[in-house]
Amino acid sequence: MAYRAEPPDGGWGWMVVLSAFFQSALVFGVLRSFGVFFVEFVAAFEEPAARVSWIASIGIAVQQFGSPVGSVLSTKFGPRPVVMTGGILAALGMLLASFATSLTHLYLSIGLLSGSGWALTFTPTLACLSRYFSRRRSLATGLALTGVGLSSFAFAPLFQWLLNHYAWRGALLLVSALSLHLVACGALLRPLSLAEDPVVGGPGAQITSLLCHGPFLRYTIAITLINTGYFIPYVHLVAHLRDLGWDPLPAAFLLSVAAISDLVGRVASGWLGDAVPGPVARLLMLWTTLTGVILALYPVAEVPTGLVALTVAYGFTSGALTPVAFSVLPELVGTGKIYCGLGLVQMVESIGGLLGAPLSGYLRDVTGNYTASFVVAGAFLLAGSGVLITLPHFFCFSAPTSKPQDLVTEALDTKVPLPEEGLGED
Amino acid sequence: MMTEYSNLSLESHNLSVTAAPITSLPVEEEMMTKAAPITSLPVQEEMKTKAVPIISLPVQEEMTTKYSNLTLESHSISMTAMPMKENNKGNQICVDRGIMLQRNVTLERPNMPAEKNITLERPSNVELTCQFTPSGNLNAVNVTWKKGDKLLEDNYLVNATGSILYTQYRVAVINSKQMGSYSCFFGEKKQQRGTFNLKVPEINGKNKPLITYVGDTVVLICKCQDCLPLNWTWYSGNGSVQVPIGVPVNDKYVISGKHANETRLKITQLSEDDQGTYWCHAIFELGESEGHVELVVLSYLVPLKAFCAIAAEVVLLVAIILLFEMYTQKKKKPSDDGKEIEQGEQLKLDDSNGIENSGPRHRKNESVGQ
Repeated sequence: MAYRAEPPDGGWGWMVVLSAFFQSALVFGVLRSFGVFFVEFVAAFEEPAARVSWIASIGIAVQQFGSPVGSVLSTKFGPRPVVMTGGILAALGMLLASFATSLTHLYLSIGLLSGSGWALTFTPTLACLSRYFSRRRSLATGLALTGVGLSSFAFAPLFQWLLNHYAWRGALLLVSALSLHLVACGALLRPLSLAEDPVVGGPGAQITSLLCHGPFLRYTIAITLINTGYFIPYVHLVAHLRDLGWDPLPAAFLLSVAAISDLVGRVASGWLGDAVPGPVARLLMLWTTLTGVILALYPVAEVPTGLVALTVAYGFTSGALTPVAFSVLPELVGTGKIYCGLGLVQMVESIGGLLGAPLSGYLRDVTGNYTASFVVAGAFLLAGSGVLITLPHFFCFSAPTSKPQDLVTEALDTKVPLPEEGLGED
Repeated sequence: MMTEYSNLSLESHNLSVTAAPITSLPVEEEMMTKAAPITSLPVQEEMKTKAVPIISLPVQEEMTTKYSNLTLESHSISMTAMPMKENNKGNQICVDRGIMLQRNVTLERPNMPAEKNITLERPSNVELTCQFTPSGNLNAVNVTWKKGDKLLEDNYLVNATGSILYTQYRVAVINSKQMGSYSCFFGEKKQQRGTFNLKVPEINGKNKPLITYVGDTVVLICKCQDCLPLNWTWYSGNGSVQVPIGVPVNDKYVISGKHANETRLKITQLSEDDQGTYWCHAIFELGESEGHVELVVLSYLVPLKAFCAIAAEVVLLVAIILLFEMYTQKKKKPSDDGKEIEQGEQLKLDDSNGIENSGPRHRKNESVGQ
């Protein structure tokens, strides 16, 4: 089997970007637009909204906690079969949900089954994307992640239309058919063999070495801290605006504006991440610090123009930090271990995500307004960016000098000639 | 007739209309005690010939005592119209106490015709009052009341206070015959009138059609906001014909209701014949009100066909992608020998992957010490 020294940085890689775009749309876009179904479920099963919203929560939790499973399987079998299986599972979950007779049915079918399907798709795809790109990694990741934002705009009206014409059972059946496209996206993920692959060993060995890897652990802690504060504005912004006296419609509109600036931020940061020399971790620290500062400024802004400006800025910076967050990891652990690495990070950061929103809500209940929540969210983000400073090569101002052979020479000697040959091609 | 309705509530509704000259005052002494200044004698005589009927006080008292234990509802509408005369120059001229004053004033359009919707649930005494501020002579206005198109002869009174003309109509609403549109007319112009629409409360069904599938069970709900009907009945409609739904016909239809202001029709074992519009009638003492719910029954095949079509499309996509890859792999096969030349061959033959070799490589896979 032929091993590459370098990721291709283009070519078929762009098809992988396309696949990742549709996958993030079909996984997170569906999750975000699921709120349209909630009203129907509340009426159909006569359950309170809190119990119905557990469906999405279980789905998200299973997707994130199951990420390492997806990673391990991808390392062993390659991303393609894993993602295709994940697509079938996700579609099957929705299909079974259309026959549901109780809420527990939905917890198991959508939450557990579709959630595990999603776990097997998203992480391997992003990892595969990181393997296909090195120079343009951030841009590719940024472009792929725009799928999330754009699909939320498209799917919410689509789901409502489906509900109006087919009622919720028929609509779930058709969403299942939509999720089947994950299988087609999986087919696009051509396996890629890179130089590091035989070196890093099987999944078990990878995970063990990762857990002993200092920078990886610090990065995981930083991402978890960032994740804790990241979602709070999305969850509580509208409520905060209502507290200040805004009407529901302008508040919801402002959230849409934030979503648009989020999209722009992702692509811009992706481009910037590739254009600026040096470790990407510095850019991540920049965007995280800015987001933290903006969040801390929220309680100070009372005037509408100030709030609008802050929200646009927040959307931009928080969108900007997502692609670079994914780009730091391959630099730290190498593309050979990227599957397992990403899986572990997703699993740990989900703890932060699950804790963040309830913590913010609790603070609001205790203090009476959202000031404390926003300040704490900003503090978490600043703490995360602080941990990022401890990453190696952070303060290098020149282009990094290490070459792939550093990674390879540590392993077996027989592989040394390979990278030199690769460099000889320049 | 009035004695029978003593237990009714009294509802009083006022409408104020301001426009052109008005009629003169009633002549009866009883009315004079209630009213304020009266017009001059010549006008009174004029009025007598006009024969404006008025309710005499004894009759009024009779009516009030009979219905005194009922609720009294009072509604009033005020209409104002600024009377203007236009000169040939196009300016607005105010006539104030007979003196012509030329001013540039805006013509205030009268809120005419003034209309008020009154919702009545149970029998009550209704008092409708029209207030009218004319610009000219109060005495010249002819006041009439009409129910629909029928001119009303009695049960109303007219009096004047200062420059405002009042007219009041009383009616005991006990059944659906007294519901409808009551209008007070000032003068002959059709514009100078106020209308009271007496209606039963409205029922809310559902505006969007309910979508269900064959074999399902559905519950149709009709609600009334703040009213308590005496009874509810359900009809199913095919076109314009309404067929009543008799209750237990092999348990298919079950009519129930958690509160008195709503009714629920549960239909089990749905089939495509059950599709159509369902009407719920709320029966009040004063009439009937209806709402409707539209039911659509689909077969499972409808979404299933769409699902199969999309699934087939996905299978096709996957097949195309994999076949394309196998085709490109075949082109690479001859290069699959020897690792030494692999790198070079791969770079030459993998045109389909389009590798970029030019330019400095900024991002390398760094190993940062394990």
